[in-house]
Amino acid sequence: MSIPPAPQGLEAVSDLQPPPSALQRRQFGTAGLRLTLRGRTIRLRGLRRPPTGALRWLAILGPGIVAGAAGNDGGAIASYSSAGAQFGYDLLWLIVILTVSLAVVQEMSARLGAATGRGLLDLIRERFGLSWALFAISIVLLANGGLIVSEFVGIGSGMELMGVSKYISVPLAAALVWFLVVVGSYNRVEKIFLIMTLVFFAYPVAAVLAHPHWNEVAKGVLMPKFHLSAGYITVFVGLIGTTLTPYQQLFQQSAVVEKGLARRHYGPERIDVYAGQVFSNLVAIFIIIATAATLHAHGKTAINTAADAAQALQPIAGNAAKTIFAVGLVGASLLSAAVLPLATAYSISEAFGFAKGVSLDFRRGRVFFGLFTFLLLFGAGVALIPNVPVITLLVGVQVFNGILLPVFLLFIMLLINDRRLTGNLKNTRLYNILGWGTFALVTIAVVVLLGAQALGLFGLQLFGGS
Amino acid sequence: MLTHSQLRRFAVVDTHGQRVKLMDLAIELGDAEYPAVEYLLFRTRDKQVMCLPWRMVQRVDPAQRCIGVQDLGMAEPTSAEELGQMLLLKRDILDAMVLDLLNRRATRANDLSLAEEDGTLRLIGADTSAWGVLRRLSRGRFAGRSDIYDWKYIEFLRGDPQAPLTGAKYYRRIERLPPGEIANLSDSLPYLHAAELLHLLPDAIATDTLESLLPERQLQVFEELDEQRAVRFLANMAPDRAADLLGALEPDEAKRFLEQLPLERMNPIIELLRYPSDTAGGIMTNDVLFVAKHLTVAEARQALQPRLKRPDFILFIYVVDNVDTRQLCGVITIRTLLITSDAECIENIMNPYLITIRPLEPAATVAQRVIDSDLAALPVVGQHGQIVGAVTIDAAIAQLAVAGSYRLPRVFS
Repeated sequence: MSIPPAPQGLEAVSDLQPPPSALQRRQFGTAGLRLTLRGRTIRLRGLRRPPTGALRWLAILGPGIVAGAAGNDGGAIASYSSAGAQFGYDLLWLIVILTVSLAVVQEMSARLGAATGRGLLDLIRERFGLSWALFAISIVLLANGGLIVSEFVGIGSGMELMGVSKYISVPLAAALVWFLVVVGSYNRVEKIFLIMTLVFFAYPVAAVLAHPHWNEVAKGVLMPKFHLSAGYITVFVGLIGTTLTPYQQLFQQSAVVEKGLARRHYGPERIDVYAGQVFSNLVAIFIIIATAATLHAHGKTAINTAADAAQALQPIAGNAAKTIFAVGLVGASLLSAAVLPLATAYSISEAFGFAKGVSLDFRRGRVFFGLFTFLLLFGAGVALIPNVPVITLLVGVQVFNGILLPVFLLFIMLLINDRRLTGNLKNTRLYNILGWGTFALVTIAVVVLLGAQALGLFGLQLFGGS
Repeated sequence: MLTHSQLRRFAVVDTHGQRVKLMDLAIELGDAEYPAVEYLLFRTRDKQVMCLPWRMVQRVDPAQRCIGVQDLGMAEPTSAEELGQMLLLKRDILDAMVLDLLNRRATRANDLSLAEEDGTLRLIGADTSAWGVLRRLSRGRFAGRSDIYDWKYIEFLRGDPQAPLTGAKYYRRIERLPPGEIANLSDSLPYLHAAELLHLLPDAIATDTLESLLPERQLQVFEELDEQRAVRFLANMAPDRAADLLGALEPDEAKRFLEQLPLERMNPIIELLRYPSDTAGGIMTNDVLFVAKHLTVAEARQALQPRLKRPDFILFIYVVDNVDTRQLCGVITIRTLLITSDAECIENIMNPYLITIRPLEPAATVAQRVIDSDLAALPVVGQHGQIVGAVTIDAAIAQLAVAGSYRLPRVFS
């Protein structure tokens, strides 16, 4: 059926035939809503009922998933792999506890963001004053600076597994991330990085194919097991530090702020946060199972290079294990290499009252983009120094993050319980119990680690050598 | 001139030699350009907060770092509630979000500067530079350069949308800015501050500001507004903007707001909401002017006068056969109407050759046609040839800008 063309101004409008009604009866994608307003029932196609069912949940997913995926970066995979290789299934229970803790902490950060529309450092500055804010900022700069280095180390070693020298890949990656964030459309690229991390779902398959002793796995998950060795404590704190990283909270909060979520629509957002953390920690659990069933079972307990860690994927991928591992490692590291400097620059600019946000241009956000650029250059630069002890550096950064965590948790707990800030989004009792519980767990772990280190300095050995 | 970082190290001494540490200063945001310090606060040994009116102060001595008063015993204890209602320099203003109206930006007060004049101490400026931070950290020892913005051009926000409604005082100098600039400024504020800002503007300016906010921000701020005010804003908005905003709300909320609007404001919005948002009907405005073709120019001017008070889009006046059936016959511009002699009949001066749009054509095609036509708007015509609205060039640009990547042009900036 042909539709006569619309009037083009060649005939006087009043002489024209009425438009065909076929066009009017076009099928619409949106059925609209039938509303009764003051006794009149009308169909309003300009209104939409929010999507229901699976679609609704998909629409909510966002910053939480990114925060979760970015959490499984190069350093995290190194920590999980060494935990699995050194102690088999013995540390699985910790990951389960950490999943709950992490979900609670991340949810509190998201809630703080939605309730106030502001980032964490900003709130710290306003509630606790400039000195505390500067203290928090220096912590963030140190911890995140270290992490950014570790992301570029991850990118470098991932690409070396695929045969590309890090002296080529690292500068390229830094330039790519910088270009995408400053000039291009960061949001679209974020999805590509996210898809690259999906290859980590090879770990569950690898774990199953490696025929782990499922009884042992269940025991590892359910029954806490302690070893009295310095190695165990270091891995223990490292796991906490890598799972709960201060920047994840910073990022989560600023992402919720940027998403423009209003207080009253916060409820469903929790699903995003929980889903992100559960996904990322499931991957963590399977990394441990896969390394435990392959490397630990064969007596290989030390992981020194990325290639060692990749061996855990052999049951599923055979010779392609290295490539698959490399793709995942590079994807996760790229994602974090973009997210980390962004979150850092964002929160610091906010605390000092400078313009911030990826939607700005370079002229209007000089401090924001300046900080971002500096962090990228610093990270890539340090990662390129020859003969950097890669694994030591990675684990060191994670432990450092673990040490800083209690400070951040304390700020979050105090802020979220301030009714003047959060109103009816204040913590419930359950959240307070879980939150303070996490704080206690982390603090004790850190104190034990620092204590052991301090005793070591004086030549005392508390737990015997590792 | 004193800075707050210096004042923090001051002690309060009386003629009996008693000496206490200054805790904070309470100011009154009043009608004066520079707010005066009303009370000074200090703590007794048993942690009780005491307040002393500033008029008891005899001297402020920067060299000795002290404030001299007659008798500290005359201070009165302050309850926590009273303290909550006061506006304190250190607790509330320092580090808070302030709007620097001269530079059109939201920033933070890193340090404050005060000056004494005829026995009153007044807040005269805020330092938003990094020097202010340094000066504070060194407790005033390191002065450095000071980058002080005159308090006259600063609007202080509390971050509580309800504050303007419960009688908190503001300068409201921001209402002198054009609404577009207020909107730009509030796009960079936390959303609770933005809602607070809208609450303290007069309705007309607040409505224009709300219209100019970025769409997601608009929604977020709108939901924080006091309901009655929100309804008033909706009623004052152009119907197409109001329809877009309502379309973004949850259906139940949209219904609640629609029902509260006066009938003559509700109907045009409902008419627009009948069309899906991705069609010409979804992006058009129905706030258009039309006159009957048989009128003379003088009669037309007369007939349009009351209507000219409202509509946003007034460049084109559409000519219809009569105002009830609204059959579109042609168009005249407002310019023609002004320069043609009174006795001329509209029918003779109108342009009958029009490019028209149908309400259910896809929005993207229509937007492109409006832009290609290089006209300020194209009329939208219903099934029976009646005019239902117009797609303006603004709406067309907004439509195409959303579809493309609006960040691309930054490559060249």
